[in-house]
Amino acid sequence: MNLQAPVQNSMKPGRWINSTCKMCLHSCNTRVHITDDGIINKIEGNPTSPSNVGRLCPKGNAAIMRHYDPNRFKTPLRRTNPEKGPGVDPKWEPIGWDEAFDLVAKELKKSISEDPRKMLPAINDFQKIFLWAWPACFGNANYFSSVGNFCGGGYHPMNGFVHSTFAAANDPKYCNFWINNGGGDGFSSHLHVTAQAYAVANARIERGMKVVVVEPRMSIGAAKADQWMPIRPATDRQFALSMCAVLVEERLYDVAFLKKDTNAPYLVGPDGYFCRNAEGKIWVWDTKSNQARLWDDPAIGDFALEGTYEVDGVTCRPAFQVFADILKDCSPEAMEKITTVPAANLRRMARDFARAAQIGSTIEIEGRRLPLRPAAYNYYRGAQGHKYSAMANQSFKLVNFLVGNIDAPGGHVGGTLDDQQVDRGHIEPGENGMIKTMPHQLHPEVPFSFPPNETHLMGFFPIGVDPGHLTQEVLGNPEKYGLDYRPDVMLLCHTNPLWNLPGDRERWFEVMRSMRFIVAVDIIPNDTNAWADVILPSHDLLESWNMTMIEPPNTEGPCLRQPATPPLYDTRSEEEIFYELSERMGVLEIWNDIQNFVLGLTAKPELMLERGKKYTDREIAERKGLLWNGKPMDWYIEHGHAVTPRRPDKWYRPWEGMRLHFYIEDIVRVRDELKQKMEDAQVPFRHEWEWLDYQPLPIPVLDPVHLEPAAFDLYAITFKDIQINFGESLTNPWINDIVWKDPVHTAFLINAAVGRDRGLVDGDFVKVESPYGSVFGRVALSQEIHPDTIAVSNALTRIATQHTGVRHGGGNFNDLLPANLRNTDACSGQPETVGRVRMSKLDILPANIQANPLFASKEA
Amino acid sequence: MTNWGMVFDLRRCIGCNACAIACKQENTLPSGVFFTKTLTFTSGEYPNVKKLYVPTICNHCEDPPCERVCPTGATYMRPDGIVMVEAQDCIGCGTCIVACPYDTRTILDEHHLQDGLFGQGHITPFEMQGYVRFTKGTTVKCTFCHERVDAGQDPACVATCPTEARIFGDIDDPNSAPSRLIRERNGRQPLPEKNTSPKVYYVD
Repeated sequence: MNLQAPVQNSMKPGRWINSTCKMCLHSCNTRVHITDDGIINKIEGNPTSPSNVGRLCPKGNAAIMRHYDPNRFKTPLRRTNPEKGPGVDPKWEPIGWDEAFDLVAKELKKSISEDPRKMLPAINDFQKIFLWAWPACFGNANYFSSVGNFCGGGYHPMNGFVHSTFAAANDPKYCNFWINNGGGDGFSSHLHVTAQAYAVANARIERGMKVVVVEPRMSIGAAKADQWMPIRPATDRQFALSMCAVLVEERLYDVAFLKKDTNAPYLVGPDGYFCRNAEGKIWVWDTKSNQARLWDDPAIGDFALEGTYEVDGVTCRPAFQVFADILKDCSPEAMEKITTVPAANLRRMARDFARAAQIGSTIEIEGRRLPLRPAAYNYYRGAQGHKYSAMANQSFKLVNFLVGNIDAPGGHVGGTLDDQQVDRGHIEPGENGMIKTMPHQLHPEVPFSFPPNETHLMGFFPIGVDPGHLTQEVLGNPEKYGLDYRPDVMLLCHTNPLWNLPGDRERWFEVMRSMRFIVAVDIIPNDTNAWADVILPSHDLLESWNMTMIEPPNTEGPCLRQPATPPLYDTRSEEEIFYELSERMGVLEIWNDIQNFVLGLTAKPELMLERGKKYTDREIAERKGLLWNGKPMDWYIEHGHAVTPRRPDKWYRPWEGMRLHFYIEDIVRVRDELKQKMEDAQVPFRHEWEWLDYQPLPIPVLDPVHLEPAAFDLYAITFKDIQINFGESLTNPWINDIVWKDPVHTAFLINAAVGRDRGLVDGDFVKVESPYGSVFGRVALSQEIHPDTIAVSNALTRIATQHTGVRHGGGNFNDLLPANLRNTDACSGQPETVGRVRMSKLDILPANIQANPLFASKEA
Repeated sequence: MTNWGMVFDLRRCIGCNACAIACKQENTLPSGVFFTKTLTFTSGEYPNVKKLYVPTICNHCEDPPCERVCPTGATYMRPDGIVMVEAQDCIGCGTCIVACPYDTRTILDEHHLQDGLFGQGHITPFEMQGYVRFTKGTTVKCTFCHERVDAGQDPACVATCPTEARIFGDIDDPNSAPSRLIRERNGRQPLPEKNTSPKVYYVD
């Protein structure tokens, strides 16, 4: 060994380039070290980034192992084994790109020319979200994947209703009291986890920010919290409503905010609509003159928030009073029976929260006097992933509404997905002084149709996020749903629906078997692309160009991805793949039209993609950079990003002068319009449609998971942590190495006292069974979990043949979940993510069970 | 002379192990080999439970037992306090591993370097460029990223830590960040009863 030569990778002779991480969907800024021999040997955070400030999470640190993964697809591949199934070797044979493109285009075109709806696409690359729009070239709006099951079916539309944004997060810059309910923001997951963990750690340590975490399992956030409030799964909405009840009962709410900045004073009639005059203007009640006045009447002395009034012979109440009346059934004492959270604890916490909110205080930021509300309620997938998801999301928002912290410094602040241009605002005025609601954050509304055009019934979810799981229900009962075609080709792109979709795997396998042809654009093998007929291998995150901004909580600006090395293998960019397919399928012109729209290039015509021309990934990335700030690619290559702290005028109360939707009348309107459309079309399943799900204000009704047969006496939840945050992780040997050293990821967690009562000891092998499916695994008795709960790490539930790291577990957690209408929020499309289960000890040892596609016998 | 040390802020640490993987990246560590890792400790009974994430690393002790017991002098301390192992002199006897009360040393077996991170003997180009530093049958451990430190940088684990839970610097300088933390928040050394004078401190 040459003692003079450096042994540490970052110190070896080489060069650094600026780039962007893609180990989750977010976009931390990185610098990548390439040795003089062309080997990538270190990736670090880019210290110039105000987002992740030179830091990276464990996944970001592990990106090199994705790049050098020997299991990567190295050339286009064609399946030679006609048999398909979980664990069945596709027996790939390499083919050339031209042959592969020709073959794929021919097969897709064959079905699409018969009926454009016959393609089931699952395009899931979040950093190249414009690719999702490719099926629109054919007028196809099918979607074979889940959003709600791993993300936020109700979450995103509700953010669109309230903030006109895709995401929302508490503001760590000023927050002093941070509630996390079923989400890992600031600790282990969700929006830019490294950036937010840093910001939250600083707030905790430097400012003494108090953290309260509400969830069934003690996550990282709960471990770091001042208070962990364990809660029975799927009762988060009732918890939030009981908090609201305390705030209203004890008058701990921001009266000025509710009267001036929201529609809480607008009068609501018995039909759920606002009371309007003949011109459509909304009435409020003026308590000074004791009469109804139009909302913008300058003569209004004071807005009534409470009371019952009569206007034009119609009995009506301010929206606030409607909510206050709902809350009469939501006392902490009543909700405790559902949530198990002791009422006294809840009351104390609610009061502390309200006190910390400093209602009435202000702060001057950049010459603007703003309300300072340093207390906020954050939540995400675990809290909102339930049947009544729209209501759940709104109940969490309403805690924030009551203390007046919406988009306020220290409060609960909307976060845009991609602003596209540095000076583009996201707020538009709506009717009657309110902001325009923007529930469609991912794609434009899909029109209603019957017979349904979409196998997941997207046309029936005018304010929802794609309920991809319903494809199982619809394809399993096509006559019932009036489906007048059968999809027979599938397009997969950076996706793994057989992992993420809820419902019975065997029924999903049937859907896969019904496909005449499947193509997958991907990097490494997974559960789903193992069913493909052709693999089109794409470059990885260290070989390709991109420009992206993905819902950063505290910053804004696009981030550049650039190649650190030439492609290791015979791979192509996604852009090239879709262009080649577009050209062969005759949609090259419309594909550029669609991209111009989706990328926002229409705002600067000089940047628009020309019809009929093909562009490289670099050319499209450069246009996105130019669109943002006019800087050319060379500037981005030098800087790596255009990220700045989010500007206060865009971040704090960008809707100043307009009113927010405390009461969401649009939900009522959408319900009634849909009802009418279904009636007009005589949709046969209209009477079993879940009309209760559309509420303008949330009510405490129980989610159906609580109504399963009593024999299923536990609630099963699944969870991730920062090491396995978002997508695929465990095929990465470094992630593997740390995950299996963490006891929470090595066995199903049950409460220690419950386990002892049932005669269980650590390591016992159990079957966990819901009315819909089952999983196997070892149990660990834990103090870190609610007694009603069994918690299954996402690391433990995979199809074993694809994931040799999986330890003596079996099956997929999502099998425990129903993929039916009853357990789908008709309003948002969100499926229930909690399973009602029973657990039984098995005498057989895992080692004695033969390994099969659903079961790994590997010992820890 | 500088005397390098580190402070772990237990209130900041979220147990994510980004440090462990950054270390694996920086030092090309084989599967199962860690120069730093985070332990978890849970106390109390539901619902009154506390969980603590405790990062661990070679403590680069002032009086390192590993150095004392090393029969060949392979383990030595640099003038700036970093405890090193000279692979050429290490005979792999393992005495240091027994002597270290902190379980931070590993003897590299042949399989570590031959199995490959992806197993089945597949050695990636990344491993090829990195494993040349190692000699099978010798002891390896954290070096505080001595080459980065010599170049004026923080160790890789410190640089990447998402919550800034690792604070590195000259603990002989009373104004350094670690010295201030030790003083202001009553920094404690691990296993003081072992009389090793660790240069790693914990604050909570």
